[in-house]
Formats: sequence, C-alpha cells, structure tokens
Amino acid sequence: MRLSSLFVVAALVLAPLAACDDTTKAPASGVEAPKPPSPEPGSPKADDAPADGGAEQPSSEPVPPSADPAPQPAEPPTASPVTFDHAPAGAIPAGQGPGYLDRTVWSPKMCWPLAEAGFPNSQVYGPGGGMGPPGKPSQCDSLNYTPPWHDTFCEARSRSNPLCAGAGTGHQGQDIRPASCKKNEHWAVAAEAGTITDIGTYTVTLVAKAAPHYTYRYLHMQMSTLAVKEGDQVTVGQKLGKVSNDFGGTPTTIHLHFELRAGVSGTTTDGKAVALHTFLPPYLSLAEAYQRKLDGKACGAP
Amino acid sequence: MRYGMRWATAGAVAITLVAGTAWLSTSKAQTRNAAGAPAPATRPTTGVAALVAAPRGRVDWQAAVGGLRQSANLGESLASNLNRDQVDITAVPILLPRDAKLASNARIYSFGDYYTITADTAGAGVSLSGTTTTVLLPATKPLKVDSGPEQLTLQRTVDGQLASFVRFGVLYTVEIRCDAPSDPRCVDDNYVLGLVGKTTAVVMGKAARQAAGLGG
Repeated sequence: MRLSSLFVVAALVLAPLAACDDTTKAPASGVEAPKPPSPEPGSPKADDAPADGGAEQPSSEPVPPSADPAPQPAEPPTASPVTFDHAPAGAIPAGQGPGYLDRTVWSPKMCWPLAEAGFPNSQVYGPGGGMGPPGKPSQCDSLNYTPPWHDTFCEARSRSNPLCAGAGTGHQGQDIRPASCKKNEHWAVAAEAGTITDIGTYTVTLVAKAAPHYTYRYLHMQMSTLAVKEGDQVTVGQKLGKVSNDFGGTPTTIHLHFELRAGVSGTTTDGKAVALHTFLPPYLSLAEAYQRKLDGKACGAP
Repeated sequence: MRYGMRWATAGAVAITLVAGTAWLSTSKAQTRNAAGAPAPATRPTTGVAALVAAPRGRVDWQAAVGGLRQSANLGESLASNLNRDQVDITAVPILLPRDAKLASNARIYSFGDYYTITADTAGAGVSLSGTTTTVLLPATKPLKVDSGPEQLTLQRTVDGQLASFVRFGVLYTVEIRCDAPSDPRCVDDNYVLGLVGKTTAVVMGKAARQAAGLGG
C-alpha cells in the first residue's frame, strides 16, 4: 500500500522530467563527439581579432543594467603589502558594472597562475574589446600590457554571479592577459596542489587538495598542448597548459579567464540562509600571490 | 520567482524520494529541515577567508541512511564503475543520478570531506560534487540569488549551468559544461534541473558507512 502510493506520486512528479534525459537533448547521436583540438601553436599571430567583442559576453545577449560601482570605504584600507601598481579591489569604472568590494584574501596561499607576469584587466572595456575606447581597436595595444591591474569580478556581464549587486549577474572571475600579446606561448600553472577533475574543449578545472577545496577554472587554454589530463594530481606551480584565445570555436581575446569557486554559506537578499557553490573574487588573492612571486618566494610559501 | 515552477518540480522529486525513503525504511516520517546548511561560524577580521568546516556530525546520517536504503542496490550498481578506493575514502554520502548511461563513464575524485564526479555525455561534461565545507560570506554581503527547496540555486556559467542544493546537511553541486555555447542544455536550466531531479541515488563507501554507524 505504502509502496504503491509512493511510486505513484514519484512517477507523477518524475514524468515531466523525463524529457530532460540527455538522450533526448543531446545535439548529436549517442556516439561521443570527438573534441576538436586547438590549432597547433605555430607562429603566433600578433593580433587575432576577437569574434566575441571581448570575452565571455556574447553580443546576442544584452548585459543587464548594473548597480553603481561598489563604494570604496571612507577610511583607507590597511596598507597592502603589494608593491606593484594595481587598482583597488572592486574598483570598476562607472558604467562597466557594479564590481564587488571585498578585501578578503580568499586563497591566501595560492600560486600566481601564470609562469610569467600577467596583466589583469578588462577584455571588454580595454583596447580591442567590444566596448573598448574609440580609436584603439587592437587587443595588443600597449595599454592592455601596462599596469595598473584592474579587478574585473562583477564587471557587467549577462551570466549569473550572486555576489554582484543589481541583477545578480556579472563577470565570474578575473581576466588576465599573459606577459605578451601572443597566444599559445605563456604557461598557466596550478594555483594549488590538487587534482585535475575536468578538461573541457577550452577549459581546465583544478580542485585543491586542501580544504575548503577551492575549484580553480582556467578558460581559453590551448588544448593541443595541455601538459595535464583529467585525473592528474598536480603540485602547486606545475605547468597546466598555454594561454590562448579558444572559446568554443569562437576566438576571444588572448587571455586567461581565471575563476575561484567554493562552497559558500551566506544570506540571500531576502534574508534566507543559503549554501551554494559559487564564485569568489580572486583579485586580492592574485595580487598577494604575484607579490610573493616578485619577492622570489616559491609557490605555496607563506 | 523566476524558477519557481521548475524548482518546485525538482524539489518535489527530491523531497518525495527522500521522505519516502525514511517512511519505507524506518516507518518514521523523517522531515529533515531542508535548510540543513553547514554550521555557521564567526567571521574573522583578518581579511583571510573564514572556513566553516562543518563537523562530521552535521551530516544528517539518519536521513542519508534512509536514502541509502531507498536506493537499495541501484546506487551500488550505478557506482560500479567508480574507483572503489576513492568511494571508500569519501566521508560524505555520494549522490548519483539515476541515469545508467551517464554513470557508466563516471570518474570520482575524492578528498574525503569533498568529492567530485566527472562524466561525459555527447557534446558536454557533467560534474557532481558534495562537500561539508563552506566559506562564510558576511551578512553585509547578501547573495543575489533565488533559493528553492533544499536551498536549490541555479547559476548560468560561462560555459554551462550550475545547480547547488543541500541534502543530508551536505552541499551538493550538479553542473553541465557544454562544448558548444549554443547547446540548449547550457543555454537554459531545463537539463540541469532534470539532472538534479534524478540525482537521488545514495552511495556510501567505508568512511561514510563508519560515520553513519553502519560499520565499515
């Protein structure tokens, strides 16, 4: 009696979900589609024209209006140990998204995720970006390869980011141009020791061994020269692959989209306690990691 | 609520199955508080991330064991291709989708208090993870996200869809990542919600069984 009642209820509820089975929605047949390899490195092209107007923001999708930029504190923040030129965390120019003011160094021991220097800044609003300054059409413009750094977390985008004010959408990570405007040359390295848990068509996912098991995602990698495969256990600073402009068959600017994710406990805007897996701002963790690199400290050093 | 109807459907599936599990296996209604989030903690003022390491006891093992019994042999059958050593060191209940095809090529990577399972489907990858550890955001930084049954949340990522929910006191994540940006499974949340709805099979390795009082 009980059994039959339960299964009747479950069957009724499950019925609408049957259409969600991947066998009915897969774009191809049941045979796994081979993943197209990235082009061989060859001679780097100085200035591939990005076809997406910047990065991670399809031109077909409008960016929701965003709140005003995150206000900076009246009192100057505690002196930063960082000596290189970088704009404050959360400081995003008006009209380019809300930003996210957060002085938490979420991953205080992480390694700078590139083997060389890099230039964290906007792929959309910088020269060569879809909404870049007029008269500066080249992504290789020296402005993009000159400090200061700029935080791009919660820059205006159409994808979800619960930490962003306004519509709850915004950039989910930090964009970093490599040391030069050349694709397939500059190595991305492991931010922490951990396991490579997923390899996509232009992405590498690393889950850290140490709690809270941060997930680091590296986007726009050159897949044909990856130095790791799924299941590999990597050490901090180990080479993963080269930074490119791959973006699902559509070239973007040459940059690493670097995400820091974790299980997060917080409160929703309507006051409900919630735990979810989501994005954290990596900017200050990157800044401290880069300073350690400048100081000659090994990856993972305090 | 933007996702209200679909959340209700996915949530109803989960609640029906979980509640039914306890009902059938113990003859006691197990109405676990769906808001069984990891334990709150005090945020430090140092500017370094605060870990909310939920003690092992925060897992609702009674409900999890109910889920295990309701899964019967299905969970173990779905997990037959997973690395058994990795399953055995996982100290949280592992959730698998009732989808034999997806489970047949799944790989698990575990750190004990955290696991992630990666599986392939045509043109996409699926990740399923579970953890008892979260970091705490201050109340002054509210999250702009809708939360449904079991704290179900949905986010669209650069290359897919990401769903999270809390069950048995564990934060679970279901994510799809598509090779093609235009893949409908990643453009909207129907696929990921469907996957959440059928991610109900419970598997416990040695560490989880010991923690649940079932012996190794």
